[in-house]
Amino acid sequence: MKHPLLTRAAQGIAAMLLLMAAAMKFLGDPGSVEVFMRLGMDPAGRYLIAAIELMAAMLLLSPFAALGSVIATGVMCGAIIAHVTQLGLVVNDDGGRLFGMLVVVLVCVGYVLISRRKEIPLIGNTL
Amino acid sequence: MTSTFAVDLEKTSRTANVGIVLLFLLFGAAGIRYSFYFHFFTVAFFFLILLNLHWRYGQRTHTLLANFGFLAQTRYIVESIGPEFRQYLFASDTEERPFSRVERAEVYRKAKGIDSSEAFGTLLDFGDKELKLRHSFYPADKDDLDAFDVAVGAARGLDTTYHVRRPIMISAMSYGALGQNAVRSLARGAKLAGTVMNTGEGGYPKYHLMEGCDLTFQMGTAKFGVRTEDGHLDESKLAALAALDQIKMVEIKLSQGAKPGKGGLLPKEKVTDEIAELRGVRLGHDVISPAHHVECTCAASTVEFIGRIQQVSGLPTGIKFCLGRPDELRAMVQEMGRQDTFPDFITVDGGEGGTGAAPKSFMDDLGLPLFTALPLVHRILQEEGARDRLVVFAAGKLVSPGRQLKALSLGADVAYSARGFLLALGCIQALQCNRNTCPVGITTHQAHLQRGLDIEDKAQRVANYVGALHHDHVELLAAMGTTSSHRLSEKNMYLPAQTTMPSPDKELS
Repeated sequence: MKHPLLTRAAQGIAAMLLLMAAAMKFLGDPGSVEVFMRLGMDPAGRYLIAAIELMAAMLLLSPFAALGSVIATGVMCGAIIAHVTQLGLVVNDDGGRLFGMLVVVLVCVGYVLISRRKEIPLIGNTL
Repeated sequence: MTSTFAVDLEKTSRTANVGIVLLFLLFGAAGIRYSFYFHFFTVAFFFLILLNLHWRYGQRTHTLLANFGFLAQTRYIVESIGPEFRQYLFASDTEERPFSRVERAEVYRKAKGIDSSEAFGTLLDFGDKELKLRHSFYPADKDDLDAFDVAVGAARGLDTTYHVRRPIMISAMSYGALGQNAVRSLARGAKLAGTVMNTGEGGYPKYHLMEGCDLTFQMGTAKFGVRTEDGHLDESKLAALAALDQIKMVEIKLSQGAKPGKGGLLPKEKVTDEIAELRGVRLGHDVISPAHHVECTCAASTVEFIGRIQQVSGLPTGIKFCLGRPDELRAMVQEMGRQDTFPDFITVDGGEGGTGAAPKSFMDDLGLPLFTALPLVHRILQEEGARDRLVVFAAGKLVSPGRQLKALSLGADVAYSARGFLLALGCIQALQCNRNTCPVGITTHQAHLQRGLDIEDKAQRVANYVGALHHDHVELLAAMGTTSSHRLSEKNMYLPAQTTMPSPDKELS
């Protein structure tokens, strides 16, 4: 289905940020190692989340963007839970930069999710 | 029903709707208390709760979802995958439509050149309610059989008289309805097998011509390929086409079995640049042909039109129709007598056809079935003294040698099949011909779906199929004690007492 440029731009931005986040996790960036240590998920959980982010990013750039946005929204919700329940909004004195990124991605994929909801497999026709 | 065990859907779904909220809270707590991994479930249930709220209080189009929530969705999901499941798992070998697995398997085996003999009895109903061929106490010697030969145009003494030498021909399927690989496979197969292929009404038959096989050019009601801007006949274009060496016959399509009384329809998804050019139509629109030729408004004008096409093309020229009213056919045949203009052949298309896209009620409810129409056509032609002036082709699910012989016994001279050849090409009956998504690359123009359709391999299958049908044709003829298919008649058939076949008294005008 043809979508406005805004949707495509949101997909692009979200995919780019997700790819960066996934790369940092895969490469063992000290910041993300620290975060996952505090969640008690390092290193397995870090790689798992990175893999999911990578998949979501690729889907967002493919004809299955709707599915990608569902997955990405899920990951972002999980991240919000992490910040709210354990990490706090400011992590490692970053002034909330990490959380800010998270919100940007969430807004983007949320927008994609809503504008492409009809394309979600199996249930799209009821939304 | 006195069932003692029943699922109360309302109670179950109410429990489920509350349950997902509880589970969400539970997993959330576990995620905080024990391991962050629990939050995978927290998120999943969060989504499910949002969805459920939307289904129950947001949307108004799905009653079940509004009343019962997400559990009702399982019904929609299961229903959406039902057709595939039924075909793969639950459909018995004989109950699938349009072609049961038994019918398809026979075509597949013939196409692959595998022995199609079976053991331990027929899988079909075998009572007194089905049409049967009658064999003879005294089978003919196969060597005594006349070679199959139907001369089309001989009654007019045409120089261009065409001899059909195979009992089965490839029925009308245009480039447009089929993708190019499918058309070329069929054309190459027809060349290998020595049979004739119908181009369909898809305009200039570019891909049909590529492989050097004999062709019947079909002129639909929109006259694609031979039309003027306003939809009339462009005689020079028709003459130029008819002059091509490969074009052996011309078929004027008056109506077709899939949608009698309605013009052909090519969905816009399948109108590519090239098709638009070959047909002279616009991109992005369904291509809808008129319901009848503008020239043909009554028996007299139709017969005149037939005569005109015969004149212009110089080739054996016939008409194709699905029978509706026998009285109209009789009037037309009488008019042919008055004008002394007979088509060289008549193609009777059964109402059960075919490969075309058609509105459901046209597909299901209009037109006589082939085995009802054929004897009517045959008898009307005989009674009006026209049977010797033309030959009769028959189309309508004639995919097996038995059905073909039945058609020949009921008055046809040669059988036509379209879907039989699609099966030979590897059709799996996915029923998506009108959506450009054919998974086996036959009725699609998408390159990635056509990729798997190897022309050389499939052409050989088409040829094998024709060869095997001809072989069985000879075997059956011999068993019926007949040396030529021209001698077949209704006497060679068992017609059930409670048949839908027309008796001499009824159905005839």
